[in-house]
Amino acid sequence: MYSNNYTLGFVFIVTIILGTMLSFTKENVKDLQDQNLKADVQKTILRSLNFDENLLLTNESIEQTFKNYIDAKCVDVQGQIVECNIEEVDIEKNKDVLPVYMRVSNEKIEGIALPIAGKGLWSTIFGYIALNPDTESVLGIQFYKHGETPGLGGEVEKKWFTDNFVNHPQKQSNGELKYIPKKIRDKNGKIVSITVIKGGVDYSDSNNASIHQVDGISGATVTADGVTDFLLEDLLRYEKTLNKIRDYGTI
Amino acid sequence: MELFSTESKKIINDPINVNNPISLQVLGICSALAVTIRLDQAIIMTLAVLFVLTSSNVILSLIRNYIPARVRIVIMLSVIASLVSVVDELLKAYLYDMSKQLSVFVGLIITNCIIMGRAEAFALKNGPSKAFLDGVGNSMGYGLIIIIVSFFRELFGAGTITLPDGGAGYVLWSIPDSWYAAGYENIGLLVLSPGAFIILGLVIWFQREMAGVEEDA
Repeated sequence: MYSNNYTLGFVFIVTIILGTMLSFTKENVKDLQDQNLKADVQKTILRSLNFDENLLLTNESIEQTFKNYIDAKCVDVQGQIVECNIEEVDIEKNKDVLPVYMRVSNEKIEGIALPIAGKGLWSTIFGYIALNPDTESVLGIQFYKHGETPGLGGEVEKKWFTDNFVNHPQKQSNGELKYIPKKIRDKNGKIVSITVIKGGVDYSDSNNASIHQVDGISGATVTADGVTDFLLEDLLRYEKTLNKIRDYGTI
Repeated sequence: MELFSTESKKIINDPINVNNPISLQVLGICSALAVTIRLDQAIIMTLAVLFVLTSSNVILSLIRNYIPARVRIVIMLSVIASLVSVVDELLKAYLYDMSKQLSVFVGLIITNCIIMGRAEAFALKNGPSKAFLDGVGNSMGYGLIIIIVSFFRELFGAGTITLPDGGAGYVLWSIPDSWYAAGYENIGLLVLSPGAFIILGLVIWFQREMAGVEEDA
């Protein structure tokens, strides 16, 4: 039987050694981790803007592509440009400074990526939705951070789910199907966002809203409802900015 | 003790075969169900467990004569938890995509019964070299099963075979489109947890049959 003092001393020493080992590891890899995180966010933005995957293979190529093609600005709810440090904006909490990432080529906007974030079932889901310059049709959507159940709510980040947003089967006059992007505005130009419905979308002619709907994830209704809610909420916050881009082609 | 003596071979072989931690002792099946959706995840998970289990076994074995019995569980847990945190941090730095896919399950290695079980049952009673071999043997036994399970789950569930690389995984082989065109379909159930139970059950049955294990009625 060891004395109390020995036991306390032993535990104390073990704690010190293990603590030192942990902080030493963290200190050594922190820079790399930060780079990975930053590259991951940039990759999500670039993916949503439909960049070629070959440009997104390494952290360096991601950073380079981002620097070359992306014009990042902050706006307020009124659509006015405001000063900001775009990497530091907390998109979940800060509702007044809104980051906008534009894919620009020859001074023309080719796509607009907007951060989206909101509650799923277990966690806050973070992602980006990109719109075409018409600010109506979806160019892409990507999620990069969440704590949803893998295989259920976690499916939001999967290709089959995000592809739903850009593959709306539209019947042509000759009877063939053509795939067009889903739309976030209705016929009058009002932002109605996109609803993740329970089950599969009804593509019969009687369902006029199918262009604003995507298939849900079975077993993840709460996650899907969360996505629907924060997508609408976030898009409405950008309404004036999007209107400006639609009408004048710039912000 | 020699590395390749009969005894050390037995320490390594036993947990891979007749005393497999997953299929015989049914320990650590939580992660065995969770990370077996894709082969590359299972391989990285095996390596993580190999590192944690052998290191914790060796460390605990080295200090076994100094640990007061009253606090041994706490000491074991802190050593294991620290090692797991190191693995987690390293994955985040060097295999970022993989760490995203494995998500919480790396952290959950802490609660993997195999590791605590080996520490308590073996490392605290044997010398470091034996404890090292025991760690290798048991993580291999664990790895063998989850690699087999993930191979079948990925092949029949998703139609691919993915090996780990620095990024999102290297697809070694996938079922050609012509098969799908001919009416072949992936079994979606296998991607979900019930599918893991079914495959794991079959593997356990097969493995016990091969090892000639009989259970008392």
